[in-house]
Amino acid sequence: MARAESLYVPQSNLWGRLKTFINAELVNIFAALLFLLLVIFLLYPIIAVLIKSVKGPQGLTLSYYLKFLIKGYYFRSLTNTLLLGFINTVVCSVVGFCLAYLTTRGPLGLRKPLKIVSMMPLIAPPYLFAISLIILFGHNGIMTKVFGIKWSLYGFTGVVVAQTLAFIPLAYLMIENTLRSLNPNLEESAYDLGASETTIIRTITIPLLAPGILKAGLLVFVMTIAEFGNAAILGGRTPFLAPDTYTMIVGEADFEMGSVLSVVLIIPCIIIFFLHNYLLTGKKFTTIGGKPVASEPRKMTPFVKFPFLLISCFAGLAIVISFGVVLFASFTKILGINNQFVLSHIKNFDSNLAIYNSIKVSLIAALIGAIIGTLLAYVIVRGKFFGRSFIEMVSLSGFALPGTVIGIGYLLAFNAPPFKLTGGIMILALNCVFRFLAVGVEAGISKLHQISIEIEEASSDLGANFLTTFYKIVLPIMFPAFIAGFIYTFMTAIVSLSAVVFLVSPGFELAAVKIFDAAVYGEIGVASATTMKLVVIVIICMIILNFLTKKTGFDISRKKGSVTV
Amino acid sequence: MSPSYSMPMLILNDIHKFYDRLEVLKGISMDVNKGELVTFVGPSGCGKTTLLRIIGGFTPLDSGEVILDGQKIDHLPPNLRDTRICFQNYALFPHMTVAENIGYGLKIKKWKKSKVQERVEELLKLVQLEGLGGRMIDKLSGGQQQRVALARALSLEPKVLLLDEPLSNLDANLRLTMRGEIRKLQERLKITTIFVTHDQFEAMSISDRIVVMKEGIIQQVGSPIEIYERPANEFIAGFVGFVNFLDGTVEKVDIGLGKATTSTPIGEVHFVPEWNINVGDRVKLVVRPETIDISGAEPVGMNNTFQGEVEIGMYVGSLAKYTVLVKGQKIIIDQPNPRETFFRPKEKIYLSIPENIHVLRIN
Repeated sequence: MARAESLYVPQSNLWGRLKTFINAELVNIFAALLFLLLVIFLLYPIIAVLIKSVKGPQGLTLSYYLKFLIKGYYFRSLTNTLLLGFINTVVCSVVGFCLAYLTTRGPLGLRKPLKIVSMMPLIAPPYLFAISLIILFGHNGIMTKVFGIKWSLYGFTGVVVAQTLAFIPLAYLMIENTLRSLNPNLEESAYDLGASETTIIRTITIPLLAPGILKAGLLVFVMTIAEFGNAAILGGRTPFLAPDTYTMIVGEADFEMGSVLSVVLIIPCIIIFFLHNYLLTGKKFTTIGGKPVASEPRKMTPFVKFPFLLISCFAGLAIVISFGVVLFASFTKILGINNQFVLSHIKNFDSNLAIYNSIKVSLIAALIGAIIGTLLAYVIVRGKFFGRSFIEMVSLSGFALPGTVIGIGYLLAFNAPPFKLTGGIMILALNCVFRFLAVGVEAGISKLHQISIEIEEASSDLGANFLTTFYKIVLPIMFPAFIAGFIYTFMTAIVSLSAVVFLVSPGFELAAVKIFDAAVYGEIGVASATTMKLVVIVIICMIILNFLTKKTGFDISRKKGSVTV
Repeated sequence: MSPSYSMPMLILNDIHKFYDRLEVLKGISMDVNKGELVTFVGPSGCGKTTLLRIIGGFTPLDSGEVILDGQKIDHLPPNLRDTRICFQNYALFPHMTVAENIGYGLKIKKWKKSKVQERVEELLKLVQLEGLGGRMIDKLSGGQQQRVALARALSLEPKVLLLDEPLSNLDANLRLTMRGEIRKLQERLKITTIFVTHDQFEAMSISDRIVVMKEGIIQQVGSPIEIYERPANEFIAGFVGFVNFLDGTVEKVDIGLGKATTSTPIGEVHFVPEWNINVGDRVKLVVRPETIDISGAEPVGMNNTFQGEVEIGMYVGSLAKYTVLVKGQKIIIDQPNPRETFFRPKEKIYLSIPENIHVLRIN
């Protein structure tokens, strides 16, 4: 529209011509600027890691990779990580399926409580489970000291248990989503044709859910192998890739090996990111639409009901107990040993300072992230330039990249001019911005897809130029997406550990790093209290987000009405 | 016919169903005879689909009985009932071929592989899909999917076939064809069938008997002709086709001639009463648009002739539809095969109402 109009504008002088040019090309100018930012803050750090891993004193070398393959320790760290990912994926998918089946097909009274419990880990940083396991099974744990149960927590099994509990909601949410969208008539038809419930699950439900379960599994796999906190706190002498990179860099200052481990970790993540995005889209089974049929609660056979209930309740109980012990540990001297009520952990000065710092950094990250995310969404949806889908892919790829890799990347990339950022607050905020960009961008894209381009065209038809249209029409409509992006970035940034652990400078500690240090040094009370503070902040954010989506949902419809009328 | 011989295939006995506190079925009782095609019809929310799901075993009932071929089945799950359902969206298994879909129930019943194959071929032939057994479901047209769903439901030779709005996903032409085919198939197999639809014309054209439902209550059960010509109440009269209602009070009854006269807003109307009628009874005349004659000149020797003015005239080809004003009352008239006699707005016309019209008593 703007382009067509510019033909009729009298182009008397250079300034006028420039103005029309800018107006017509503003989307593309924005796109170029945003792309530049993505290159600098997302692609360049990754490339820096790649370069570091192959750059020897005399040019290119593969000697570090050779060392990785030869030295058993490094290689074990790879196999351990993959095995951890595999076990976690299987367990989370099975538990997620049982939970999802019960909350969509099971007895009505059970659905809501199970759903709440299975989503609880979402409000906590994943390493909450490492802390709760230490409280229960550590050297001074309740189970160890009070009940005399000896379980060597530090090692492979401990990490597996913590990671499983942390990633159940991810698997659950995705599987529940596909299960809910599965037409219940399909299962009913099988039932009608004589199949029992077990046969229905085996021949209809699972085959039809397979793409969804696979998708959930891939995501759990990526998240697990990239997760840093649990493995670093509970790993003990068992090597895993993500914490080993940390030890390489921070402990031994061996940047080359750290980079090699990062590249090794990034390969499965990138493969899965592509699998996830390209192979599985369109692999959905299409069925004839009819009236949407609510899934009525059906009588479950004991053969299905009891094992499902057993698995679900066991997982649910473990989650609830984990939260419980961390909460109690925040208010007792040493939970299980000296149960005296104290406020010293909560009042701990370092902890509160770290929380304050985290809020500051996360607010900065949220603001920048929301702005960039909204603009990116706009150029991705409305832009008409070549390479749009590439920009979309890059901006969404942040979440698939392991935090540790981004951490090292930033350390390598922004350690020297022209981008000297290390040691400052901005590097802490910026890595969060680009890691968690996906949510803001996706919220923006879906918002923009809801409104037709005719609204903008009507605005320019009435004489507004691009900037006016953007300011008066697009921004108000996209505001809910902006807010969603803001709060989401804030929430994820404030609990994130894996990247910032490389980037914090001594005088400026962040809450997540403080929790990590406290857990490692056995200050469980402080670790618990700080974790609980983060949980409270996340809960507050979720409440605000919930409130705003309800509120702005209303506002949007009203605004849309006034625009069209 | 001896009583035991005419035992109904399906008996519904005082079925009640609540969703929370809302009563969606308020005491449904009726019989379906062997080999009969019965249609449940009614506006959305009338409970027809819920009733069908209760018969199929997908929705538990709160009280009442479902008796299939002499056996109480309302406590049984769907897989242990001899009823088979065809869902509105067909619910074909998208990860299986046509043959695998049709053979699914047979496999569950542990039929031998060769037997299954034989039966599937037979069913494919029955629904005219020979040679398509190896196709995947999403490679079929809507009509073909409909046939597969039908074949799958028929595979186990159910005692009662349940069809839930089976034609609503097809386009208009295909719907007519499939309607005929389903009826032909049903008559050939003599299979007892319950057909649910919201489309009254579909119900009229396919059924042995129609069950008209509204708000969880059966309004009337009868053959299509009975339902159309002698609707039990205003709702049914208006539900199957358009109708002009004329309210009146009976002024004269001539028992000898079998005739009565009633006052209406357009004047006196003479009619042949179908039931015992008395002077002073309040009645509602049910006048179908296609039963009214319309002409430009006053017809000679006809009762019930009124003068009116055309307000709206719509020429549709095979017929013309008019809204005519008679003494301020709007009357809808269908004129078959209008050709050159099509009347235009403002034209004065004469309309004649037949004497053998249906009359409802108003209490």
